[in-house]
Amino acid sequence: MMPKNSKGKEVAEIIPDKCIGCQLCVAECPVGVINMVNGVAKIDAEGCIGCGKCRDVCPVESVLFEKPSKKKPAAPKPVSGPAEKYSGIAVFIEVQNSHGAEVAWELIGKARELAGKLDTRVFGFLLGAGVKPIADEAIAYGCDAVYMMDTDSLRQYLPKVYGKALADMCDYVKPEILLLGATHLGRDLSSVVSTILQTGLTADCTGLDIDPASHLLMMTRPTFGGNIMATILCRDHRPQMSTVRPKVMKMPVKDATRKGEINTLDFKPYVGDLPRILEFIPKTLEGGADITHAPVLVVVGKGACDSRALPLLEELAGMLGGTIACSRAVVETGLLPYTRQVGQTGKTVAPKIYIGVGVSGAVQHLAGIQGSQKIIAINTDRNAPLVQIADYAIIGDYQQIVPELIKGFKSIIKK
Amino acid sequence: MHIVCCVKQVPDTAQVKIDPETNTLIRSGVESICNPYDLVAVEVGVQLAEKHGGKVTVISMGPPQADSALRDCLSLGATEAILLSDRAFAGADTLATSYTLATTISKISSVEPVDLVICGKQAIDGDTAQTGPGIATRLGFNQFTYVAEIINVDSANGTIKIRRETETGSEIIEGKMPALLTVELELAAPRYASLPHLVRALREDVKVWGAANIDSAPERLGLKGSPTSVKVIFAPPVRKGGTVFDGGGDQVKAAGDFLKNFLEKEPALLKEIFTDHKG
Repeated sequence: MMPKNSKGKEVAEIIPDKCIGCQLCVAECPVGVINMVNGVAKIDAEGCIGCGKCRDVCPVESVLFEKPSKKKPAAPKPVSGPAEKYSGIAVFIEVQNSHGAEVAWELIGKARELAGKLDTRVFGFLLGAGVKPIADEAIAYGCDAVYMMDTDSLRQYLPKVYGKALADMCDYVKPEILLLGATHLGRDLSSVVSTILQTGLTADCTGLDIDPASHLLMMTRPTFGGNIMATILCRDHRPQMSTVRPKVMKMPVKDATRKGEINTLDFKPYVGDLPRILEFIPKTLEGGADITHAPVLVVVGKGACDSRALPLLEELAGMLGGTIACSRAVVETGLLPYTRQVGQTGKTVAPKIYIGVGVSGAVQHLAGIQGSQKIIAINTDRNAPLVQIADYAIIGDYQQIVPELIKGFKSIIKK
Repeated sequence: MHIVCCVKQVPDTAQVKIDPETNTLIRSGVESICNPYDLVAVEVGVQLAEKHGGKVTVISMGPPQADSALRDCLSLGATEAILLSDRAFAGADTLATSYTLATTISKISSVEPVDLVICGKQAIDGDTAQTGPGIATRLGFNQFTYVAEIINVDSANGTIKIRRETETGSEIIEGKMPALLTVELELAAPRYASLPHLVRALREDVKVWGAANIDSAPERLGLKGSPTSVKVIFAPPVRKGGTVFDGGGDQVKAAGDFLKNFLEKEPALLKEIFTDHKG
């Protein structure tokens, strides 16, 4: 039975628990009676005309409406118009310290897999100064062709200059897909380029695949602090753009015998006033050890938030080739800097081994460690959330346990 | 100086979960808050206005309830607040959002020229970090993302010098205003609102603007102006707990048991760790 309003009209109703707050129905409703209330769409029954359009657009079937859809369920729409002119998968190759960034090679590996499904080619898009050797490397990692702008004007990253250059490259090559690493530079640049090209961009994807029916790129990313995964499509605009974090995709095997073409394109400078980079301060190991790249992290939680404990924990991290990180609570006490914070408002990490010492594991923290290969928890509380999800949990006082671990690992190293 | 801060009301994402059985959102008790990075943006804006004179206008796009996020900003000392709320804005992805905000800033600037736009680095619900650069690109402003320190604002020459984080270090960069900054959490700590500010935040009018107020092209707003769409949502793979070692109360034994088990089960991982380390 469908609910009726006071005029006796059968009306649609939204199940609040199912609604994801995307507002598609709000935009679709022809009489404008759907409003957002506490993040959930709500239909004003009195104004509803019972057309069912909200049901048709809802991506999660949260609208209760039992009349048959007037709209036939859309068969995957063949990409129309200009999209047909676009083909090939392009990977932007970021240059870091005069080398191709690892994430670019990882993306070329993924692009090869997607190109197989689309029966198309993989392009490397390379901007910089003196970057020809990197172009050769890109071919070895799997590009069929590299397009390159090699000029002194691209030695330093400036968003306006790089944005124009990469957008020009897209206009020339017309790739159907453009992938970038979700580094500081990649996230900055991708938004500039998608705005210039007026196309869709999906940030920080953890999964990329091709929808066999529509041939569209399915971009899957965590949202709501990692509590929900969403698969996103860019149906009618090209290129379909996506950024992917480092270490999410597998590193492909390099093959120096691979052949490919390298094309140099003309660089057309950005006209207008530009900022000047006055100084560059490279990351030092002590102050800013990069917790996102460390293979092992010893993570200090509230339960081990004691300056006297640090040398012990640093010793454990050091002998495993790792470094120290911490939870938000520890940053708040001032014991460790914000650059060491793991979690929703800190950094997302994916070490080979994560060792949480006195970390209880609030949802915000867990959201940032999902990609860890193995999680080890050391905690006095066996009910702590981190203990529940850890691959290995050791119950007890870290001051007793950590020295034992150090002893144990030392004897392994000797062997 | 005229500073515009862009803020977003977000669900406290820690509380949003998905029921893995039914694949639906569990929202009970989820509060809406002002995105923490955006509060830092407002704090920075207010500090700059205090130092150099001028005003801070806060704008937000959202449903009528986003009013409360703007009032939080007023309590931090923002001068004026504008809520962009219109059915036509609904269903916007980042491209349509940056269009709406950029068009709004142009409109504001036509009355009182804007020197600086400050946004949070990203919003905690979407984590995309796309809207700030999108706005700067549309307005033709210099953009400085991941700002960790504002070194100097020279209002006489109209320049700003900042330190920003990059993947391999940090850079000191100087450029002309108008400019757009996206800020890191470490840049400033939002102040505790004083009582007079709290009272003012409650009483002050929050202007509500719709599509008609900002000279916008209807096909570029909201759902119509959004190239991306959500196909499906699902619960992330859940990590299942493994072995718990308690040594029957003996902690040294617990550590020993763990080590023994770890060596047996993860020889490949350990080998990787120790070779990496030596190499």
